[in-house]
Amino acid sequence: MALVAVDGLSFSYPSAPPALRDVSLGLEPGEIVALLGPSGSGKSTLIRALAGLVPHFHGGRFAGRVVVAGLDTRRARPAELAGTVATVFQDPEDQVIMTVVANEVAFGLENLGVAPREIWPRVERALDSVDALHLWGRKTTELSGGELQRVCLASALALEPRLLLLDEPTSQLDPEAAALFLAAVERLGATVVLSEHRVARALDLATRAVFLDGGRLLLDAPRAEAAEWLSAERPLYTRACVETTQALSGETVLALSGVSFAYREALPVLDAVDLELRRGEIVALEGANGSGKTTLARIAAGLLEAQKGTVELRGSAGYLSQDPGRYLVKETALEEVALAVNRDEQKARVALDGVGLGWAADRHPRDLSSGERERLALAAVAVAEPDLLVLDEPTRGLDPERKAALGSWLQEYAAGGRAVLLATHDRGLPANRRIGLGVDSRHAPLGARVGV
Amino acid sequence: MSPGPAALLLAAAGTAALLADRLWMVALLTVVLLAVCLHAPAERRGVYLFGALSTGLGVLVLSPFLWSSPDGTILWEGPTIPVLGPLDVTTTELVEAALNGFRLAALGLAFAAYALLLDHDRLVAAAGGARRSALAVALATRLVPSLERDAVGLAESVRGRGVRLEGARGYATLLSPLVAGSLERATSLAEAMEARGFGRPGVTRAPRPPWSVRDRLALPLAALLVVVAALWL
Repeated sequence: MALVAVDGLSFSYPSAPPALRDVSLGLEPGEIVALLGPSGSGKSTLIRALAGLVPHFHGGRFAGRVVVAGLDTRRARPAELAGTVATVFQDPEDQVIMTVVANEVAFGLENLGVAPREIWPRVERALDSVDALHLWGRKTTELSGGELQRVCLASALALEPRLLLLDEPTSQLDPEAAALFLAAVERLGATVVLSEHRVARALDLATRAVFLDGGRLLLDAPRAEAAEWLSAERPLYTRACVETTQALSGETVLALSGVSFAYREALPVLDAVDLELRRGEIVALEGANGSGKTTLARIAAGLLEAQKGTVELRGSAGYLSQDPGRYLVKETALEEVALAVNRDEQKARVALDGVGLGWAADRHPRDLSSGERERLALAAVAVAEPDLLVLDEPTRGLDPERKAALGSWLQEYAAGGRAVLLATHDRGLPANRRIGLGVDSRHAPLGARVGV
Repeated sequence: MSPGPAALLLAAAGTAALLADRLWMVALLTVVLLAVCLHAPAERRGVYLFGALSTGLGVLVLSPFLWSSPDGTILWEGPTIPVLGPLDVTTTELVEAALNGFRLAALGLAFAAYALLLDHDRLVAAAGGARRSALAVALATRLVPSLERDAVGLAESVRGRGVRLEGARGYATLLSPLVAGSLERATSLAEAMEARGFGRPGVTRAPRPPWSVRDRLALPLAALLVVVAALWL
């Protein structure tokens, strides 16, 4: 018998066009389903419907039926489904409840009434399965985005659910951590719905794939068949990594020499790092979670002062952080972008068009989806055309088509005589050089090239 | 010390500061609480100490002008303002202002110590039947540091666009997005809590270390502090 039955599901959020239109599918026990589709296609809404959060938590117009483990989600509240269903949402920062990592993982187990003597061993196993046991006693507020994402994944795995719903669960993980997590998911033996923009990663694990577009189910097929369909219909979804291209030798924009930084004396993040960026160049910083990519990016952009060493920036710098929510300070998208160019709406409109958000000029920035916010933030930073553009995890929430568009945009931007520094795990973006950072930069000196 | 007894002691100190009428006693409680707060990491305690001490100081400075007492020696005779009356400052008004200023500062510092130094997760776990209320209080307590972090992030994002924020007016423009972001996060958090079974019956608790002798002693000490402050101080 199917674990999940979705029958003619349509849903619209209040005062919004339909997010899902007549979706029907069934999920068998143990199946791993890759949920694919462009940004705003309804993937997150479908995940919320399977968890019962749609319609209970969000309200809106709901038609059709979703039955999970024999419980109709119109009658069963999400809290009743918890345990049978576990969900990991897109933004790890917005789902952490407790202040200490171990307590965070234990929170769901306590709610489900798990016997007290079983709680700590299950917490330990879950943290270990995502290589996060060393975070046990750490404060959740002190963790990097990737570390926090592992904690959220451990919190879901600890529940040992029958249905695991994952909404871009590896967007902030380094490749090793992502592989480890996906292996843990596979071992769980549960039915898994994995929404993921890194399609190759999702298809490697999945037994079946479904593709949503505009709220409609366009494809529901076994993996091999789905891969063929994607190659024919959406070729960008099956594109492999972008190769590095030859480095350019323009005028130097940024020169870091012997830069060191530590948030706490005992925990050095960067140690005697050298880095040079030239005009026309795109350089990608790679490395495991917590290896200092963001710290280095912030130092390069002049937002953080190096404790040792010299930073020489010739020209202006713009910085896009990991959290696009921080770029939403105005009432409309147009005003948001115009902020950096002295309210020049003409330039702002061009920048919005450049990231495909011309239609959203008069929309409130908080009404945009997560991928759209990411693009808006990019336009808000790049509109001033800084000589050095620093982007921290810019592909978070971007589907393959948008990612390809971003790649072309970056190449064009750099070709205009400016430099781009990327801090990213994603090799789907073009780069002239990819530079590896170790967990402790003393062990993996900057400048060592990483094979692509 | 376990967070439960420590929270009780802090609550008792705050209550004693409200009940006591002797200036030296309230001042002493304020100094003790300030010393406790200084154990918190320097980078985190600043905003709390500033809030608690500036509020107390504000009461000390303003209340002699806003509240008048016919008793005591007149130290300064000011003009008579419509609605407010004469702006005299007397010794009685000054003592009363100092008492209220210290009371407010002591309360603020007790909260600061609670927010900065206690393990709120263990407090929630120790709350037993009142777990939901305790969790709501713990989440509300985290609002201050998370707002602080958001404010720093927003200011950094604006700087990252090459825009300079100048003066109080510049930073004030970030207030509205700060509140909007905080509300958005509250909704996401509530959704995550519901998805993880919050509100289901039959909740259990992960085993925690048992109370020490010091923890047990803290309970009568807290009660004694309140009673002594109410009856003799």
